[in-house]
Amino acid sequence: MKVNAGNLKKGEFVFFQGEICQVQKADFYSPGKGSALMKARLKNLMSAKNVDYAYKSNEQVEVLDVTSVEMQYLYKDNENLYFMNERTFDQSSLPISTVGKISRFFKDGEKMFVYFYNDKPLSIRPPSSVKLKIIEAEDAAKGDTVSGAKKPVRVETGAVVMVPIFVKIGETISINPETGEYTGRV
Amino acid sequence: MKIKTSLKNLHNYKVYLEVEKAVHEFMKRHGYLKTDLPVLSPALIPESYLEIFETEFNYFEKKEKLYLTPSPEIFLKRLLVAGIGNCYYLGRSFRNSEPNSFWHLPEFTMLEFYKVGIDYLKMADEVLKMLRYIDNKLKNPAFVKTSAGKQKLKFNKWEKYSVAEVFEKFTGIKKEALFNEKLFFKKAKEKKYNINITTYENLFSQILATEIEPKLGVNGYPTLLYDYPKQMASLAKLNDDNQTAQRCEFYINGLEVGGFCTELNDYKEQQKRFISESKRRKQSKMINHTIDKDFIEALKYGLPFCTGAGIGFERLVMIYANTQSIEELKLINIV
Repeated sequence: MKVNAGNLKKGEFVFFQGEICQVQKADFYSPGKGSALMKARLKNLMSAKNVDYAYKSNEQVEVLDVTSVEMQYLYKDNENLYFMNERTFDQSSLPISTVGKISRFFKDGEKMFVYFYNDKPLSIRPPSSVKLKIIEAEDAAKGDTVSGAKKPVRVETGAVVMVPIFVKIGETISINPETGEYTGRV
Repeated sequence: MKIKTSLKNLHNYKVYLEVEKAVHEFMKRHGYLKTDLPVLSPALIPESYLEIFETEFNYFEKKEKLYLTPSPEIFLKRLLVAGIGNCYYLGRSFRNSEPNSFWHLPEFTMLEFYKVGIDYLKMADEVLKMLRYIDNKLKNPAFVKTSAGKQKLKFNKWEKYSVAEVFEKFTGIKKEALFNEKLFFKKAKEKKYNINITTYENLFSQILATEIEPKLGVNGYPTLLYDYPKQMASLAKLNDDNQTAQRCEFYINGLEVGGFCTELNDYKEQQKRFISESKRRKQSKMINHTIDKDFIEALKYGLPFCTGAGIGFERLVMIYANTQSIEELKLINIV
């Protein structure tokens, strides 16, 4: 479906210079004197890199008909992540490089949404938070009372997260997978 | 659209009031007369790059179209012709078809001022002086985000580039290509811009916005761009090279805050522009508003040699209040 670039919205998928990209940000912008533009940040789904581009606001842009399907994350190998559609038992894979750093927070068996275009998996919709158990943590040094002090801990997926010093081994914490930040104890 | 009340923005709004006060003080000290102007006008200057708001005055059978002014220029230039001298307007302006974004509201505040007898580069000194004046009056400093973290913004000099320099520095497009439409299109194509159904003006704006603007005003000083290609002259006087116009824009934190130019005072040139802009408006099926023909008549009496500056006031306050959006400055927003 073609739309005016001025109507592009965050989350939509477009073809940009021959590659499929997801709109991360789209803001209308008009200089004091000059034509109106739509400043967009596009994430290339193959390279996972962001690129900034200013469209003419009345430029026609092809928005892709992308569907999202809830799937179970099975496991990963050196290159790919594997998912299964729980209804049809179909399996799909995505390169780790496409999904990006957030995959270090995926736990086997977890459910998440995978985007498909023309029956091909494109990427995943990052969950807003993940809950993971701490498997390695050092006790906070005594007397370390600096407010906001943090320490590194290892969670069950193997990723390392900075948490407040009062958090202990065995506890489950929630993390924003996109920023890798600790958001609270569960 | 909805009315949104945000008393949490009270602190930022107070900064808005302080900046407003500082601007009025600066203008008074430097001999600019404050003008109170209408926002409803029976006719407008045709401008093809912006859409306007249209309304109707009704009194029994009498009906008349009125328009919300997209800038106070239509009134201020009349006053300049009449001999008012240095003057300014700080008040509402309206632009339709421009949705709310971080740096846009359809209803916004414009600071427009004219100084007689100076050119655009002298005006650059004047604008910098004003930015510094405001900064000195405020309790909290303005910051810019740099690669090295937050840095205090200083107003003791401009980071200054000609448009040709900035294109070469950040896009690799050399002067020869910038001032030659054919070569410029070729360069844009190499950079994978869509060159179908477009104009030099559009491509110029796209490349500027994509590759250059994010790098302007991020080194601790505001950045001044000067000498725009003549296609981007707007109402500016041309330089002797006949390639560039005496126009400046300034940027802070990658955002265009304001601009100024030595005003074109040739009424015949102005008339030509009226005709071409109205034609473009018609072609683009924009609102067919009444054209202010008296404006040309007024200019025939002679606009004095002067430079006019326009500053998006909310954008200016965003810098001093260190906010990311215009909405954060307002107690009431229409969103």
